[in-house]
Amino acid sequence: MNESGGVLRVRGLCKEHGEGQGLVRAVDEVDLDVPAAQTLAVMGPSGCGKSTLLHLMGGLERPTRGEVRLDGRRIDTLSERALARLRRRSVGFVFQAFHLVEELSAAENVELPALLAGCSPRAARRRAAALLERFGLADRARHLPWQLSGGQRQRVAIARAIANEPLVLLADEPTGNLGTGATLDVLRLFSELRAAGQTLVIVTHDERVASTADRLISMRDGTFVDDTRLAGSNTGRLGGMIGLGD
Amino acid sequence: MGRVLLVLRLVAADVRRHPAQAAMLLVSITTATAMLSLGVALHGATEKLYQNTREATAGPDVVAYSPDTRRTTITALQSLRQAPGVLAHSGPYRQYYTTLTAHGATGAAVVQVADPAPGPVDRPLLTSGGWVRPGGVVVERGFATALDVRVGDHVTVAGRPLPVTGIAVTAARAVYPWAPGIGPHGGPSDGGGLVWAAERDTRALRSPDVPVTSFINLKLRDPGTARAFTTRDPAIAPAFEHTWVNVRAWQDVARQDSVMLRDSQPILVIGSWLIAFLAIGGLATLAVGRATAQTRRVGLLKAVGATPGLIAAVLLAEYVTLALLADALGLVAARLIEPAIVNPSASLLTTATGPAGGTVAVTTVVALAVAGLTTLGPTVRALRTETVAALADGARQPRHRAHLTRISALLPTSLLLGTRLIARRPGRAFLHACTTAATMTTVTGLIVIHAQTATGYPGSPMANDLRDAQQHHVILAVTAAMIVLAAVNTLTAAWTTAEEARRTMAVARALGATPGQVTAGLSAAQVLPTLPGALAGVPLGLLVCLLFSGPDTTWPPAWSLLAAALTVLPVTAALTAIPARIAARRPVAPTLSAEAP
Amino acid sequence: MQDALLAMLAKEPSHGYGLRMRLRRALGPLGESMNAGQVYVTLARLEKAGLVVGERADGFPDRPDRKVYALTPAGQQRVAAWLAEVNWPKPNLAEFHLKLAAAAAARLADPVELVDAQRRELLRRLGEVQRAVLAEPDGSTAGLLLEGVALRLQADLRWLEACERLWSRTGNEGA
Repeated sequence: MNESGGVLRVRGLCKEHGEGQGLVRAVDEVDLDVPAAQTLAVMGPSGCGKSTLLHLMGGLERPTRGEVRLDGRRIDTLSERALARLRRRSVGFVFQAFHLVEELSAAENVELPALLAGCSPRAARRRAAALLERFGLADRARHLPWQLSGGQRQRVAIARAIANEPLVLLADEPTGNLGTGATLDVLRLFSELRAAGQTLVIVTHDERVASTADRLISMRDGTFVDDTRLAGSNTGRLGGMIGLGD
Repeated sequence: MGRVLLVLRLVAADVRRHPAQAAMLLVSITTATAMLSLGVALHGATEKLYQNTREATAGPDVVAYSPDTRRTTITALQSLRQAPGVLAHSGPYRQYYTTLTAHGATGAAVVQVADPAPGPVDRPLLTSGGWVRPGGVVVERGFATALDVRVGDHVTVAGRPLPVTGIAVTAARAVYPWAPGIGPHGGPSDGGGLVWAAERDTRALRSPDVPVTSFINLKLRDPGTARAFTTRDPAIAPAFEHTWVNVRAWQDVARQDSVMLRDSQPILVIGSWLIAFLAIGGLATLAVGRATAQTRRVGLLKAVGATPGLIAAVLLAEYVTLALLADALGLVAARLIEPAIVNPSASLLTTATGPAGGTVAVTTVVALAVAGLTTLGPTVRALRTETVAALADGARQPRHRAHLTRISALLPTSLLLGTRLIARRPGRAFLHACTTAATMTTVTGLIVIHAQTATGYPGSPMANDLRDAQQHHVILAVTAAMIVLAAVNTLTAAWTTAEEARRTMAVARALGATPGQVTAGLSAAQVLPTLPGALAGVPLGLLVCLLFSGPDTTWPPAWSLLAAALTVLPVTAALTAIPARIAARRPVAPTLSAEAP
Repeated sequence: MQDALLAMLAKEPSHGYGLRMRLRRALGPLGESMNAGQVYVTLARLEKAGLVVGERADGFPDRPDRKVYALTPAGQQRVAAWLAEVNWPKPNLAEFHLKLAAAAAARLADPVELVDAQRRELLRRLGEVQRAVLAEPDGSTAGLLLEGVALRLQADLRWLEACERLWSRTGNEGA
């Protein structure tokens, strides 16, 4: 695929807001490689730059310095139009506020990326129906977003995000607006996607969401302060945690 | 006191935060009140001006014209001095039907032989220069304006160049180009301007080729009876047994004067209706567009303990203040424009009085009604919303328009976005179509009026120009005002749509729509409803013209109307592209990071 | 463990295997690592203490796991006391806290690094529990226990975060 084998490759990434005294480095000289099929969680207090990092990686914002490569292709230098095309095909976004189009039904929301990418309406509808079925939302296809629960809305949003089979799925606080049950639904969906080989970057401040990732990066003031591998730590010590071993 | 201060502070803060919206409100209401005030002022405007002029120039109550200079004719005219009811007279005088050349342009004229000092009746008021002297003429002001002649210029009368010593107005004659009173040999008049000259300078005109008319100006004891002063009166009849005479009362002159404005008045009246409609349409869009923010604001005020009365005061005070300001601006504008519209020939004295109380009342009521009607709904709705709901989210539950959405799936991306935006707010699309239709109605009127062939004053091209110009200026002004308002409305609608659809458009961008596609989509949402609107406006315009036109109306070719209707599309696209582009260029990350759904 | 087994016998007498199955069902994945002999050892202890009586069941005289246990009156009293008890397991934070303080005072180790190491360990554990939670069907009692474990770990992680903030600040000030 490319020299590093990473789907996402970030080098010396910087994003500054403001000028002079008011200069803020939201992201400060960050390097990162995300290999294919990895689930990466980025944690940190609010304002640490984790969302900005996500936006930079998805081409929603442009870096002040540094480079972002997606599948070996540099994206920070692309034109707005080329970036838009890239987002259509290669990036899926999931947001804390779901950001479904309120006037469109669940199915129509999921159809949207396919239509934007130039699919025929029939193909788009078929794909949307299949995704909703897979996510257990077949009976909600014709509902408008306000008729759905938060968890259902976020599941629709995830279906929409992966409708064009993106190289990488970027989720910004995907469970931030959800209760415990709905959070579990979303996490189950993520682990399903992960099993299917989807590359996934999740920005969160919820330790429980972060802990399910293969790898966890902690961010403070725009820089990485920790990088922990979590995957493969199934040690069978669960019993120990409730003192059964004693 | 503190409460008033609070209201004022909130209003001032809101205007400061949304200067464009305040400006838009101001422009809309100002245009509407100005146009309305003009329409109202036009009623009887000319009669008033004529009265002023009559008083200032000792205008005659009756003028008797006879088409020759024979002894018997003069005697007959002189006999009228003793007619019952006659208080004073001046004349008889002569007038020659000739031409006058100034700055290379030649126009029909009547040259009146003037005394070195005018008699007691009809004392023309000099608005500049001095009275007639041998070797110098005075030109009537309307004529002088049409010829662009000033004191000191030279005009050629009877083959002799003479300096203009003065410019004057008179109430004895109708406004230019109806100065001659009666035509040569008592026939119909071809129109023309009036020039006063000393007897010596008119001698060259004494020729059988130059028609001449004698006339006398009379003042009656009771000006109201002027119309009864005819040769049918047995006291007058015997003197005219062998002489033809045409007696004109001052009322006839006044009526002739108003003919000049006859065609303009419907344009202004209908124009002011349409403009008021446009203003309401634009303001309604604005008010609805602000409703969400307004609802949240109301929720905040409620949460801190403001009473409904105070909140209503805050919401309405802004609109009422702006409406009153706009009303004042509109009246001032109308005052400045009025002289040009009601006194196109400059033949009458204009007065410096302000607008009548009635006009002020009408425009103020309309301005307040426009502001009130468009804001009351959203205000009441905002007041009724539960505090918590208002704070949480001002948006209403959207309705699903599956049909439009299904169709739009077949369209290219930008049209897809556009139609889905229309589906979001079908009411606004309809309003926009109506606005376009109203504008197109006026534009059609403009085209029809311009298609008319000039009707005739042979020998007075400047007179024809003047009358056509009057009508053309008025329709042009109305059309221009409409187009400005329509443009402002379109910008408002585009901006409001862009603001409302901000999140949706940000989502579309995140899903891979290019800024170009988003711009085109926002534009399309405005342009699509424009087409049916423009196409509907053409027959509407023709219908209105049909109501006011005679049988000899020349209808413009269909292609010109169609072309005008289709021009609206690129114009709208260009206009909406500005706010749409600004909206599409905005970074989407902050919108998407916002937590509220 | 002893109290839990006694409480299980309160409903009806049961043999060791049945008790083990019920225990595993309630604990879900957390009970998987439980030693098979642990239940029998505990039962033997309880019998010795006079809280339960074991009777060999008919038909399977040779097999010890077919011994049916029932509560004695003393056992019943102990169950009632256990249920009435308002004891709550104490999270032992003091030890780690003192470790950090000692490490910082004696400059034995960087407390921030200790915190980080601990954090990673807890995150791994949380990950494991969280994955187990995801694997549980909705409404399972074992899921509830897992949820509790996860929430505790989450609380510990948040406390570690606070520790890190404090110790990195004092570290910076000291330098």
